[in-house]
Amino acid sequence: MIKEVKLRSFRPNSLPHKFEAGTPAIAEAVGFGAAVDYLSAIGMDMIAAHEHEITEYALERLEEIPGVKLFGPSADKKGGVAAFTLDGVHPHDVAQILDQDGIAVRAGHHCAQPLHEKFGIPATSRASFYLYNTRDEVDLLVNGIYKVKEMFG
Amino acid sequence: MDDLYREVIIEHYKNPSYRGKLDPHDISFADNNPLCGDHVQIDLRVDLSGTVTDARFDGHGCAISQASADLLIESIIGKPLEEVKKLNKASVLEMLGIDLGPVRLKCALLSLKVLKAGVYGLGEAGDDLVE
Repeated sequence: MIKEVKLRSFRPNSLPHKFEAGTPAIAEAVGFGAAVDYLSAIGMDMIAAHEHEITEYALERLEEIPGVKLFGPSADKKGGVAAFTLDGVHPHDVAQILDQDGIAVRAGHHCAQPLHEKFGIPATSRASFYLYNTRDEVDLLVNGIYKVKEMFG
Repeated sequence: MDDLYREVIIEHYKNPSYRGKLDPHDISFADNNPLCGDHVQIDLRVDLSGTVTDARFDGHGCAISQASADLLIESIIGKPLEEVKKLNKASVLEMLGIDLGPVRLKCALLSLKVLKAGVYGLGEAGDDLVE
């Protein structure tokens, strides 16, 4: 923000105010508060337990699919993610075909290109799970991967 | 959207007819798509009249990028370089027979970019080559 404006010159405000131009992030702060209330009401331990359980289930189911290779540690040592490759199909194609069934996964390097190089793979597909995901949705993901295998079979 | 993975695309991806390298070659160029890491190299043999007598592509990437490379190579063998220079986005989309969003379009056009950069003898493959 500004301290003073003349016709041919101006003086910006002192730090940090000079970088705080315009309307402050009021809506965002209120939204943040609502999110904290929501999560606190459920309980962070409950959320962590659900996330852990659903990730464990997803890793189990994914591991059963022939041609799927999982990357990363076991469910107890990570958040709600499952990165994988599928033999013979590029991770971007996997993601695109799953997307056609309304299943959103990420494909790419996930900000870890050197790690993918170390494993000698071009990319991975990565499903992630949270509070609002269900076991049924994991089953849909697994069915979707079987569909990909069929298309490229 | 299922059209994206038409049988012809999956077939060219799984069993490409023109995957490989040419040694010796008259023209060779390679580039990748920085967003997804798709990589394509194209080698050409050209006779004195300026006709492409043989061509191959090599590389790795998604089905769209690799199938379009195979289809592109198939389409240029026996063609004069002057005709190759006229190929554009529409030619590639016609070969693929699908409509693509902006992200996958980059996959589809990578091989044409590489081909034209090689044919024009450019240092890099710019997006303007495939407008």
